[in-house]
Amino acid sequence: METVTLTIDGLQVTVEKGQSVLQAAIEAGISVPYYCYHPGIGVDGSCRVCVVKIEKMPKLQTSCSMACTDGMVVSTRDPEVVEARAGVFEFLLVNHPLDCPVCDKGGECPLQDFSYTFGPADSRMDFPRRVFDGEGVRADVDFGPTLMLNRNRCILCTRCVRFMREVDGDAQINIVDRGYGSEIATFSEEGVHSLMSGNLMDVCPVGAITTRDYRFKSRPWDNPNVVDTTCTLCSKGCSTSAWLKAKPEWAKGSQLIRITPRFNPDVNSYWMCDIGRFNYHWIEGDARLRRPMQRRGTALEASTWHEVEPRLRDAVQAAGSPDPASVRFLVSAHASTEELFVLKQLVEGLRGAGGLTSIAVAWTRTAKNQPAGTRFTIPATDAPNVNGARDLGYRVGAGNEGLPDLEDLRTAIEGGRVKALYVLDPGPEGSIGDVSWIVAARQSGTLPLLVVQGVLMTDLCAGADFVLPGAAFVEKDAIYTNDQGRVQAASRAIAPPGEAREDWQILVNVAAALGLSLAYSSSDDIRRALATAMPGSAYAQAGQITFTRPVPAKSWLQSSNPSERWKWDFMFQDLPPVKGHNVQTEDMGREGAYIPLRAVE
Amino acid sequence: MSFHPEMEYAPAKFHRSERKLAEPGEPFTYTPGNQARFDQVVTRYPADQRKSAILHALYLAQNQQGYLTAAAMRHVAEQIRCTPADVEDVVSFYTMFYTRPVGTYVLNVCRTLSCALLGAERVTEELGAKLGIKPGETDSTGTFTLVEVECLGACDRAPVVMVNDDWHEGLSPEQCATFIDDIRARGGAAFTGCHLKKEAGSGQQAADSGQPAEGSKK
Ligand code: SF4
Ligand code: SF4
Ligand code: FES
Ligand code: FES
Repeated sequence: METVTLTIDGLQVTVEKGQSVLQAAIEAGISVPYYCYHPGIGVDGSCRVCVVKIEKMPKLQTSCSMACTDGMVVSTRDPEVVEARAGVFEFLLVNHPLDCPVCDKGGECPLQDFSYTFGPADSRMDFPRRVFDGEGVRADVDFGPTLMLNRNRCILCTRCVRFMREVDGDAQINIVDRGYGSEIATFSEEGVHSLMSGNLMDVCPVGAITTRDYRFKSRPWDNPNVVDTTCTLCSKGCSTSAWLKAKPEWAKGSQLIRITPRFNPDVNSYWMCDIGRFNYHWIEGDARLRRPMQRRGTALEASTWHEVEPRLRDAVQAAGSPDPASVRFLVSAHASTEELFVLKQLVEGLRGAGGLTSIAVAWTRTAKNQPAGTRFTIPATDAPNVNGARDLGYRVGAGNEGLPDLEDLRTAIEGGRVKALYVLDPGPEGSIGDVSWIVAARQSGTLPLLVVQGVLMTDLCAGADFVLPGAAFVEKDAIYTNDQGRVQAASRAIAPPGEAREDWQILVNVAAALGLSLAYSSSDDIRRALATAMPGSAYAQAGQITFTRPVPAKSWLQSSNPSERWKWDFMFQDLPPVKGHNVQTEDMGREGAYIPLRAVE
Repeated sequence: MSFHPEMEYAPAKFHRSERKLAEPGEPFTYTPGNQARFDQVVTRYPADQRKSAILHALYLAQNQQGYLTAAAMRHVAEQIRCTPADVEDVVSFYTMFYTRPVGTYVLNVCRTLSCALLGAERVTEELGAKLGIKPGETDSTGTFTLVEVECLGACDRAPVVMVNDDWHEGLSPEQCATFIDDIRARGGAAFTGCHLKKEAGSGQQAADSGQPAEGSKK
């Protein structure tokens, strides 16, 4: 790596050649404000708040667009800089409505934070503010299916414009009426139609772009905890943060309130798609299974685990004892590697080495509608762990590149050769595709016994004899192998609802009921066993994977963007929201040029 | 209709922007003649910078139907291979693009410094009073449209009015009423024209964009 060394505020800083002065300052822990710069999109140099003084240069320079050179002497504290910067901040607020109390960004807003730090104490502006679309919240206008836009708050940094152009690949946002009346707009007010639209809320440094999903639902200080986890809604496996809103004291537990991307240079950079971001309501929705159920006559009745387990054993043994091969399994590729590993041991324990042939793996594929030039492709496979299943020896055909082959299972079921079917699907509804043929077979009696271990009350569950409530991906520590073959960790953010259990636990209990003892008392145990069973593979280190626990959240900045996250930790110590204990940085053991980013193994 | 898998799009449910939009308009394509003109103009730019032809492309569309509709902007976007939002950005910036039908004569009154000092504001007022319209409007006969614009580059002959593609220099507020009558009577002959052009003595050819396009309504 070719490096250059420069001096910023008297501090010697060595950075990679080609870095901008702003990046160098951020890495050195020197506070320089910025709005139009975002590490994930191109440099624009339009907001002017990042000005610094560079020796031998006639005028102040924008540090975001100035490449570091050897021997450069930069000052961010020179009175000239301080004054110019304050002037820029005064202008940024000339038309800004300052409606922070009703603004969704309030509390995690770079405009607030930087203005407090670098701006003048008050404004000399006594003309009326420029107003678009109405005063106050009336100015929130439709901005497509997922977003709202408030042009009064916009500071015209053009991050959103550049995000759409450079990352999404379809420049749907632009500036119209350039001049004093400049405003962010989509063509004919059609709104943003993109599977990446949620990222616009992240890149917007003010409350101008908000998501309909999160708008007015919570404030940063009501979301005390955030968990680093991994999205499991497709085979990409983006690193994400799950935000937890504290419930009022009288309610138990915390609530999943939003999901934001977490920087991971190898997988998703700073972004995530809208499917992963917005499709989480099922996790805490009404359709969740909270208690085990069993069929009595035509109705499914709620039951308890200790009642269900022996009955399930009896039913499976009765169905399967004439021919063990007539007990078949259908597992969704939403199952974690731990679950697949335990399931494999279960069938091999009961049926011997060929046991895996009785398990079919299912997933779905959906073409994602994206512009040709996009820099973020969302894979077609809607499940996170097809590769995990393949690595464990399951039959997955073409894997992520193709559709599952359930023909064999279907012929067997419809031909009456399957006496019991056990379905494991911890994914959202529809994640194993069309299952009406299973329901039909069960109804007609061709399939005498149907057991479903899942998370949602689906048609399949409604037709089952036993329903075992499992855990969704944010409710358990688990690993998944994405389409690049990376073994990634998704941490437990909330507890499974009611009597629902983590799926590995259910499988271990079912195994025990069937007389097979699998000595696992935690998912850690399983990962250690997995590591031992697969030395020399990507899973050899599985036992050491650490999972995060809810940590006190300071801001979205902190989770989505390492250079901003870094700043949050080192710059805003005395600013609201008040910083708490931070497990992300406590074990760093050093301060200085280090970005406290925990890359997912 | 939304293609978005997770969220229903029901724009009517939410407050819509008050921004003034171009009419949706009838389906628009260039006439074969204009298409040929565009195809020829676009060769002047490197293939990867087709976007640079945007002003030519817009003039062709505007001259073809008199003003620009959303459909026309979409067509231009397809022609120069950018998004309609890029085109709307440009259209909304330049005062010489119209998103509403305009009169036969568009009176562009300069309101920048030199002209303002010599009474441009009153010129606008007088013209408006004579025609019974405000800036941005078209008179009832569809003959005149009044627009305020920034510097026309003829500051030494202020106040200046640009009428369609021609100049009229030194229009004092007092002359406004007779100026209108004069245009009504003599058409283009009523304009003083650009003094620089006259001094150069050349009947300098109008730029491509100024030549009437096929199907021109002007
Ligand atoms: S809407 Fe937000 S991201 Fe877009 S220009 Fe305005 S402030 Fe910047
Ligand atoms: S691309 Fe896939 S993994 Fe990433 S957020 Fe979207 S659904 Fe989740
Ligand atoms: S961050 Fe440098 S000019 Fe905006
Ligand atoms: S100020 Fe009117 S033409 Fe320049």
